[in-house]
Amino acid sequence: MRRIGAAIASLAAFLVLWKVATVIGGYPEFILPAPEQVAAEGANVIGSGVLWTHTATTLLEVVLGFSAGATAAVLTGIALGKSVLVERVLSPYIVAAQAIPILALAPLLHIWFGGGLLARVVICALIVFFPIAIATMVGIRSADPLLDEMLRSLGARPAQRTRLLEIPSALPVIFGGLRVGVTLAVIGAIVAEWTGATVGLGVLINIANQGLFNTSLMFVALATLAAIGLVFYGLVVSVERRLVSR
Amino acid sequence: MSPTRTLLALLVLVLAACQAPAPSDSPAELRPVTLLLGYRPDVQFAPFYVAQREGYFADAGLEVTIEHRQAPDVQRLVGAGEAEFGVADATDVMIGRTSGIPIRYVSTLYQSFPVALIGAVEDVPGDPAGLAGMTIGTPGRFGSSWHALLAMLEAGGLTEEDVTIREYPQFNQVDGLSNGDVELVTGFRNNEPLRLEARGTEVGLLTVDVVAPLPGPGVIVGDELLADDPALVSAFARAVAEAQAAVIADPDLGFTVAEQEVPTIAEDPEVARAVLDATVELWAGDGFAGGAIDAELWESGYETLQRLGFIDGSVPVEEMIDPGVIGTGAG
Repeated sequence: MRRIGAAIASLAAFLVLWKVATVIGGYPEFILPAPEQVAAEGANVIGSGVLWTHTATTLLEVVLGFSAGATAAVLTGIALGKSVLVERVLSPYIVAAQAIPILALAPLLHIWFGGGLLARVVICALIVFFPIAIATMVGIRSADPLLDEMLRSLGARPAQRTRLLEIPSALPVIFGGLRVGVTLAVIGAIVAEWTGATVGLGVLINIANQGLFNTSLMFVALATLAAIGLVFYGLVVSVERRLVSR
Repeated sequence: MSPTRTLLALLVLVLAACQAPAPSDSPAELRPVTLLLGYRPDVQFAPFYVAQREGYFADAGLEVTIEHRQAPDVQRLVGAGEAEFGVADATDVMIGRTSGIPIRYVSTLYQSFPVALIGAVEDVPGDPAGLAGMTIGTPGRFGSSWHALLAMLEAGGLTEEDVTIREYPQFNQVDGLSNGDVELVTGFRNNEPLRLEARGTEVGLLTVDVVAPLPGPGVIVGDELLADDPALVSAFARAVAEAQAAVIADPDLGFTVAEQEVPTIAEDPEVARAVLDATVELWAGDGFAGGAIDAELWESGYETLQRLGFIDGSVPVEEMIDPGVIGTGAG
């Protein structure tokens, strides 16, 4: 209850500061809309159903992209953590891929993967992949060597040691990566939509900004994205609390 | 020479320097202004480069800084008074002005609306009704290309639902056409067709001018500057029109100056030259009007955008343009 109260107080303070900035700065709506102008625009697009149409598409991309990217990243991270050879072979490619700006690669991925939902999920998954893979690798290697030695002396096979020791030990670190990854998934979905989509919050931002010159509508889309990020982050934290003993 | 004499000599030199007359050929003070262009440096902006380098702006008493920005930012920054002048699509001006951005269109750059549907000659229908069922690539649901596409569909008795739209926000719709992902693309007819022809495609066009005339891009200015200093705005618009007339009369001049401003021309000078020549044809239209605004064309374009739902008619067309700035034209 206290946590919810603090969140509401924080939100209220943010809105007040925002309103004060618009009043003191004297900004017109097309430069910085006031909170009530954004709220009115939000009510408008919620009522018309426009916001939900775009939000539903982005949600689907985030869920699929995060699921695919996180699954691949955890499996790759386990392989990297357990095998120095795998790490030596794969790491340069993973790091190089991370160093390439996804914005530069995204238009090509869009063409290679047919330009539909699959292309957008791939772009989203690629953004998610790196922090989770590296976190998993680090986590796997953080297993207690004495416990590992004990399992070996009891005749545990490699798969058993991974399941019973390494993965449980790695969970806190993996969840650290998942927390970062899930917020990146939202960014990934928008980057993917900006390379080519007909619907989604990224598309709505473009329409509002470049097509309608409606800054309030753009803020509504941005606020929706922020809300999606917060909800998914909260879900990851909630799962983490259930799985990771403290 | 003794130290005393040396010091005296230095003192004489310093005094002589202090008494030296100021240079008599200092230029008249120029008014610094900023011009925003909504695209990267390109040969299509040759009149502005010529106006700057060949002294048209200076003759008008202006020291112009040219900046290249994102198209939607141009309207906002000019409207907010962060820059004095900008270049924007007329259709975007109608929407931006209706959305509350205090800008006005004061002179015309393109006599003809430059957007067309482009494809392999055998794929381009003879009239807009033939677009039904086709797959069309466009940068997005914004800007003059989108407005032109919807205007063409409307002219053919069609809606967005009758075609498949694929978006290319990186403006790489030509790649989509080359890949066979789309059958037609929207584009400026002085640019994309030439790039496709360079790839060996025999190109066909369906131009919006023929079916649903819309006003073309032009110079915009903020309401405040227009009210405070109309002479400055007029001087700028006239300098641009004069430089544009110079490029129309002598495209070689425009190309030579643009080569110094646009690094990408060196990558493919032949295509860049072809783009400039095609652009000159568009500027000239049926006869270069020196930047004059065609009020009738604005009225019909305004009605088209209203029918398509882009504007609600709350701001009349008279508040979007000021034909008096350039009058019947300059240059």
